[in-house]
Amino acid sequence: MARIVVDAKKSSFSLNLKELISYRDLFLILAYRDLRVRYAQTFLGFAWALIQPLTTLVIFTLVFGRFVKVDTGGVPYPVFALCGMVAWTYFSFVMNQSGNSILTANELIKKIYFPRLIIPLSKAVVGFVDFAVAFVLLIGLIIYYDVPLSANIFMLPVFILLTIVSALAAGIWLSALTIRFRDFQHVTPFLVQLGLYVTPIAYPGEVVVGSLSDAGVFAFYLNPMAGIVEGFRWSLVGHGGLHSVSFISFAMVVILFVTGLFYFKRVERVMADVV
Amino acid sequence: MSETVIRVQNLGKRYSLGHQRSGDLRQTLKDSFKTIAGRRNGRPDEFWALKDLDLEVGRGEVIGIIGRNGAGKSTLLKILSRITMPTTGRFELDGRVSSLLEVGTGFHMELTGRENIFLNGTILGMRRTEIRQRFDEIVAFSGVENFLDTPVKHYSSGMRVRLAFSVAAHLEPEILIVDEVLAVGDAEFQRKCLGKMSEVSKGEGRTILFVSHNLAAVEHLCSRGLLLDRGRAVASGEVRSVVDQYVKSGMLANDGRAEGVSLGEGVRVKRFDLSRSAISVFDDLEYEIEFSSTTPNRVTELAILVYNHLQERVGIVDLRHRDLESRSGQSTVFSVRGKLRGVPLMEGAYHCGLYVSSLLCHGDFLNITSFEVKSASGDFVPYSIRHRGYVEFDNSFVIH
Repeated sequence: MARIVVDAKKSSFSLNLKELISYRDLFLILAYRDLRVRYAQTFLGFAWALIQPLTTLVIFTLVFGRFVKVDTGGVPYPVFALCGMVAWTYFSFVMNQSGNSILTANELIKKIYFPRLIIPLSKAVVGFVDFAVAFVLLIGLIIYYDVPLSANIFMLPVFILLTIVSALAAGIWLSALTIRFRDFQHVTPFLVQLGLYVTPIAYPGEVVVGSLSDAGVFAFYLNPMAGIVEGFRWSLVGHGGLHSVSFISFAMVVILFVTGLFYFKRVERVMADVV
Repeated sequence: MSETVIRVQNLGKRYSLGHQRSGDLRQTLKDSFKTIAGRRNGRPDEFWALKDLDLEVGRGEVIGIIGRNGAGKSTLLKILSRITMPTTGRFELDGRVSSLLEVGTGFHMELTGRENIFLNGTILGMRRTEIRQRFDEIVAFSGVENFLDTPVKHYSSGMRVRLAFSVAAHLEPEILIVDEVLAVGDAEFQRKCLGKMSEVSKGEGRTILFVSHNLAAVEHLCSRGLLLDRGRAVASGEVRSVVDQYVKSGMLANDGRAEGVSLGEGVRVKRFDLSRSAISVFDDLEYEIEFSSTTPNRVTELAILVYNHLQERVGIVDLRHRDLESRSGQSTVFSVRGKLRGVPLMEGAYHCGLYVSSLLCHGDFLNITSFEVKSASGDFVPYSIRHRGYVEFDNSFVIH
């Protein structure tokens, strides 16, 4: 029989993975609820998941593909931009959603016990829909422009995984921070907006490497999505390559994720009192 | 007592008043600076919601936790159901715990009844397979069969409560934590809840922790009582004696006068005065009730509700009157004054509430004021209250 021991003196930093797994049904149901609510009640339903990236893509293509004419190394601009946007759309969606997730779920948190981590985690599932839709769009474009797929495609799953982990890392950090400091309600949308420009989505990373000092480049790649977006492009259409600087981004993913979990566990103890 | 399933040692919970709400960044930076500088000793704005609590509960025991508002009852339940962490002490629980701190938590209005059964069930800790197994039972108990695929937002509030309760009633935890579930719903629903709870505890040997202001329900359901006051355990033991101690301690009584109570929607009971806060049996009791509202509030029905210390209704004073509606409909302030002649109530503490049916608000508003009936002296020592029921008869008799 399950025995629960709670001791005020022992601050447990163990993740309690076993418990998390035993709550997988709640995780799935919460994700299902969000999906249903997000898409079932709107007139256009799933079409919204298509309209959003499509609009951004059209604007990017006009501004950066036509007017500014960034160097895409021969890749048709819409394909170039969409490669980056697929990863970014997912990342920004999950980050946005989970940032506020604990705050929004305050009714639940004040009344029922469950591993709080379930809430930001479930948002990662909800984002898959937008990801899948954008990805299908991308495949369509690749076929339309007849772009040869890169031989690095076998690495794509790794980058998808990295995207998920980095979205979760950001989401976990922000959801806990939003509980502690309400200021982060405003910080999250700001970060999302900022990220769209400081991540090499609309332009190639080489532009940055070529025009900033070493310290500047280092700072640029502290953004975990900087390396991941380039990785996406590299593994899909073979544009660019994995620079040594990209690995700063990958390291950041791991660092943010692990520290995020620790911070979340710390805030979890007082969550019901301050939410 | 059989095997112990809940073991609580030295449990305490401290809240700091200053920033219970999560702070702004500035405050935190200031505080952490003070901590570094070592200038942060014993902040005055802290209070213990719960302090030095020890408790052991055996399997199958039903323990009622009573006390005033703010005595620490809900804090205790929140800690035991792991919603919040204790500041001191430790506790152990053997077995699966479910808490019903509020029926219907996590219902989502846009989802259908069917989806909400699964959502609510998993939130309460059931597995999907378990819910699937009991799905038909849950639906039958709730009586909403025909609306299963309708979004819950189209349900009446009664249907929602029924559905929520039937999900909760089909949980099978070893330890069940219940807080004020009975505060919602009509009398019939409350009876259903109580029935289900006693069935669960007696029939299936579950351990239940039950917090309620309804002392009659506590006495009826629980074998043991725990009385809390200002975060500390004041009494613990056989439920009758604990309830008695609570009633006698005077913690229940107010001072006979209410300073103004909001009924919502801008309606206030500005005064609910009784001529005396303590009377003897068959004394007269005068009352004056003054209402105010932001806009004229047409009151169609009004009654004083009188409850005894077990929160059982002993009677109502019907104040419906043909002038009531017109008077209250014209002015933002109106009052009612009257006299109860020869109050025939048994000695004890009584609470008065109001039933109001009006344009702006509707419902029972309890615990607005209270009074006490003192025992009359007689030739004989009175029988114990328990044997004497609710009323005193004004009686004269002769022996031939």
